[in-house]
Amino acid sequence: MILATVLLPILSGVTVSLIRWKEKRQMHICTLAFTVLTSILVWVMILTPGAEEFTLLTFPGDLSIAFRMDGLSMVFSGMISLLWPLATLYSFEYMEHEEREKIFFLFYTMTYGVTLGIALAANILTMYFFYELLTIVTVPLVMHTLTRKAILASRKYMYYSLGGAAFAFLGMIFIISFGSTITFRLGGVLDMARVGTRTNALLLIYVFAFMGFGVKAAVCPFNSWLPDAGVAPTPVTALLHAVAVVKSGAFAIIRLTFYLFGTEFLKGTWAQYVVMTVTIVTIVYGCARAVKEPHIKRRLAYSTISNLSYILFGVTLMTPFGLVAALTHMIMHAVMKICSFFCAGAVICKAEREYVYELDGLGYSMPQTFGIFTVSSLALMGVPGLAGFVSKWNLANAAIDTGMPLAYAGVAALLVSAILTAIYMMTIVVRAFFPKDDYDTRVNLGIKDPGIRMLLPLYLFVIAMVILGFNNSFITDFFISIAG
Amino acid sequence: MNVMRVLPLQFHMDPLGAVFAVLTLIIFISSGVFGIDYMKGAKNRKSFGLFFVLSMLTEIALCAASNLVTFYMCYELLTVLSMPLVIHERTKEAKMAALKYLFFSLFGAYGALFGIYNLSRFASTLNFVQGGSISAEVFAADRGLLLAVAMALIAGFGVKAGMWPMHAWLPTAHPIAPSPASSALSACIVKAGVLGILRSIWYVYGADHLKGTWVQTVFIILTLITVFMGSMLAFKEPVLKKRLAYSTVSQVSYILFGLAVSFGAVDPYAAGGVSAHVSDAMTGAVLHVLAHGFIKAALFLIAGAIIHHTGATRVEDMRGIGLKMPVTMTCYTIVSLGLIGIPPTGGFVSKWYLATGAIATDIPVFMYLGPAVLLVSALLTAGYLLPLMITGFFPGAEYREKIKGQDIKCEPGPLMTIPIATLTLLSLLIGLFPEPVIALIRMIFV
Repeated sequence: MILATVLLPILSGVTVSLIRWKEKRQMHICTLAFTVLTSILVWVMILTPGAEEFTLLTFPGDLSIAFRMDGLSMVFSGMISLLWPLATLYSFEYMEHEEREKIFFLFYTMTYGVTLGIALAANILTMYFFYELLTIVTVPLVMHTLTRKAILASRKYMYYSLGGAAFAFLGMIFIISFGSTITFRLGGVLDMARVGTRTNALLLIYVFAFMGFGVKAAVCPFNSWLPDAGVAPTPVTALLHAVAVVKSGAFAIIRLTFYLFGTEFLKGTWAQYVVMTVTIVTIVYGCARAVKEPHIKRRLAYSTISNLSYILFGVTLMTPFGLVAALTHMIMHAVMKICSFFCAGAVICKAEREYVYELDGLGYSMPQTFGIFTVSSLALMGVPGLAGFVSKWNLANAAIDTGMPLAYAGVAALLVSAILTAIYMMTIVVRAFFPKDDYDTRVNLGIKDPGIRMLLPLYLFVIAMVILGFNNSFITDFFISIAG
Repeated sequence: MNVMRVLPLQFHMDPLGAVFAVLTLIIFISSGVFGIDYMKGAKNRKSFGLFFVLSMLTEIALCAASNLVTFYMCYELLTVLSMPLVIHERTKEAKMAALKYLFFSLFGAYGALFGIYNLSRFASTLNFVQGGSISAEVFAADRGLLLAVAMALIAGFGVKAGMWPMHAWLPTAHPIAPSPASSALSACIVKAGVLGILRSIWYVYGADHLKGTWVQTVFIILTLITVFMGSMLAFKEPVLKKRLAYSTVSQVSYILFGLAVSFGAVDPYAAGGVSAHVSDAMTGAVLHVLAHGFIKAALFLIAGAIIHHTGATRVEDMRGIGLKMPVTMTCYTIVSLGLIGIPPTGGFVSKWYLATGAIATDIPVFMYLGPAVLLVSALLTAGYLLPLMITGFFPGAEYREKIKGQDIKCEPGPLMTIPIATLTLLSLLIGLFPEPVIALIRMIFV
C-alpha cells in the first residue's frame, strides 16, 4: 500500500497523458479522481495505527530502497495530500488560459508521487533518489510556457538543484560510511566509535549537506532560482514553489539534522552557528528583496524564501521545541502562502495584471479575491487569531528557551521580517482597496471574481487559517509526540 | 515546552479597563454624533462609518482583554482597523500618511511583541495580575536581559502613544483624517499605547523591579523630551489640526511621565502599612488620560466645525471666528484653559497631581526637572492655544469695520455643538469634582 501511494500518481499521470481524450472535462475528472484516491490512501495509512514498512530493493552493503510511515512522514505527506487535490481543482480553471494542458497535468500528477516518495522514504538513499527525481519532473513544469524566460529559468533551476544535490550526496556518502545504519532514527545514526576524532570533518560535511538540501529550501545565497521559477503557471508556483518542492528541502534538512547526524552531535558546535546564521540572514534578506519587488509573484516568492528560513531557523535551534515550532510553521506557511499565491493567480488569470502598481482599485472588482488576500496578508504578518501568529510565537519562544545569543538575533530577525512583511503585503491591499482618487476606473470594468473552482480552495484555506490560529492543539500535540 | 496550542483569548473588564472603556465610549459616541452632520454628503461615508464603529468595538475589547496575548491581538487589530480612517480622503498625501501610521504602529507592536515573547518565558503567567508575575529570583537571575525586555515593551507601546523618537507618524496621520476620526484617534486610540505600558509593566512584568534602574531613567528622559518638543513644534505650527496633533504628542507624554516616575512607588497615604502601588503621579497620569481625552476630542471637533463652516485650516485665517461661532469658541476657550492647566478645569487637577507626585518621589534631578519641564510646556500650551481665542474674539477694530452690517453668524447646528459642549462640560466636571475619580484610581492600584 505504501508503494501504491507513491506509484499511483506517477503511473496515473503517464496514463492520463497517453489516452486521447475526447473532452477536456473527462481528463479533468480522471486526474482529480486519481489525486483524491492517492490522498485517501495516504490518510488511510496515517490513521491506521502501526507503522507500515516496505522494502523494494536491497543492494549489497546494507543499502536499500525502502519506505516507512513514521511521525515526520505523516506530517509532510498529510500536508501535501490535503493541498494537492485543492490545487488540482484550482488549476483546472487556471489552465484555461494556458496551453498544452495534458503535458502539464502529466508532470503535475507525477510530482505528487515523487514528493510522497520523499515524505515516505525510510532511509537516506531512498530520499536522495526521490529528491533527484523531484528536480527532473518539475523542470518541465517551470519550462511550461516555453518562452525564453521560462527556459532560462528552468535551466537555472536545474543547475542549482543538481548542484545542491551533489553536496547532499556528499552527506549521504559520509552517513553511509560513519553511520551505524542508513535508516532514519530520531537522535541520529552516527556511530561514534567510527567517527573517532574526525568530528570537525563530519561537521563540515553537515554544513555542506545542509547547504546542499538548502538549495531547494532557497537559503541565501542559493535562492535566486526561486523567484525566477515564478514564470511557471501559478498552480505550480503556489503548490510546488511555496509548498511541495521547497518544503522537501526543509524536510530533508529536518531528516539530516534530527534523524541522521543527531542534535546531540551538532548542538553547540560551530556548525550550528554557521547554519543558524545562514537562516537568520536569509530571513531578513528574503523580506527585504520582497519589499523592493514590483512583480506580485516574484514578491511572494521572496516572501517564501524568508518564510522557509523561519522553518530552518527552528530546525537549527536543535531542540525538540525548535522542531515542533519548525513543523508548525511548515504547516501554517503552507496554508498561508498557497492562499496568497492562488489570489495572485486569480488576479493574473482574470485581470491580467502582474505588477503591484497595476492593482489600483481592483479590490472593488474582485472583492472576494482581495478580501481573502487581505486575510492571508494579516496571517503572514502574524496578527493573532490567524495561523501565522502561532507559529511565530512558537519559533520565538523556542529560540528564547535555548538562551543562545544568536537565537536572540533570530528573534530580532523574525520581528524585522514581520514589519517588512507588513510593508510588502499591506501595500498591495491598500492599493487594491484604497486607490487614489484619480485612478482610471475604466480599466477595471468587466473584471470579476473567478469561478467556484478557484474560490472554493481559497475559502477552505481561509477557514483553515482561522481554525489553526485559534486552536491548533490537534497538530501541535502530534508534533510534540514526534519530537519526543 | 511553552507551545501555544490554543490562542488564550480571555476578556474580563476590570476597573482600569473600565476607565479606558468609558472614555472610549464617550469620545467615539460624541465624535460619531458630530460626524453625522460633518460627513453629510462626503464620499466613502459608508466605509468611514464601518471602520469607525469597528475601531470603537476593538478598543473596548482591548480595554477588556485580561491577558497579554488577547491585548496584543486587539492592539494589532485596532491599528489595522483604524488605518482606513486616516486614508479616508484617498489623496496621495492621505495614503502616505496612512501607510506611515500603519508601519510605525506595527513597528512598535513588534517591539512590544519581542517583550511579550520574553515575558511568556520568564513570567509565571501572561494573565493580568496586579503587581506582575515575575518573581524576584527570576528577575535577579536574568536582570540585564529583563531590563532590555522592559525597555522594548515601553518603547514599543510608546510608539502608539507618540513618544519621541517614534512620534513622527502622529502629526502626519491625525490631521489628515476627517475631524471626527482625528478626535477619536488623538483622544482615544493613542491611549491604547498608555494602556499597553500599564498592562505589560504593572500587570505582567511588575513595576517594582524597575525602580531606580536605567530603564526608568531612559523612560523619564524620553517622556520629558517629548513633552517639551511636542509643545515647541505645536507652537510653531500654523495649521490648526496639525498644531493639535503636536499638542497630543506633548500631552500624552505627560501621562507617560506620570507612569515613569511611579515605578515601585508606595502611596504615602496608604493606611496601616499596606503598600499601594499608586503614587500621586500615577493618579495624575490616569486623571490626565481622562482630562486630555475630553479636551483633545473637543478641540478636534471644534477644528472640524471651523473647517466645515468656514473652510479655514490655518490659524491666521481664523480671525474673528469667535464672532462667527460664539458658542463653539466659548467651548474652545474653556477647554484651552483646561489643557494649559488653569483651575478649576480638569487639566489643572491632573497636572497638579503629576507635578506634586514627581516631587514626592526621591528620583535625583528629575524630581525637580520634570515639574519644571511640565511648567515650561504649560506656558507653550498657552502660547499655541490662546492666540486663536484672542484673535477669534478680539479681531481688532479694522476687522469690525469690514464686517459692519453683515450677518456673519455661522454657528454649527446642534448635532455639532452638543457633542462639543458635552465634552467641554465633562472636562470641567472632572476638574470640579475629581474626588470620586481619584478614589477610583486608588482602588484600582491597591
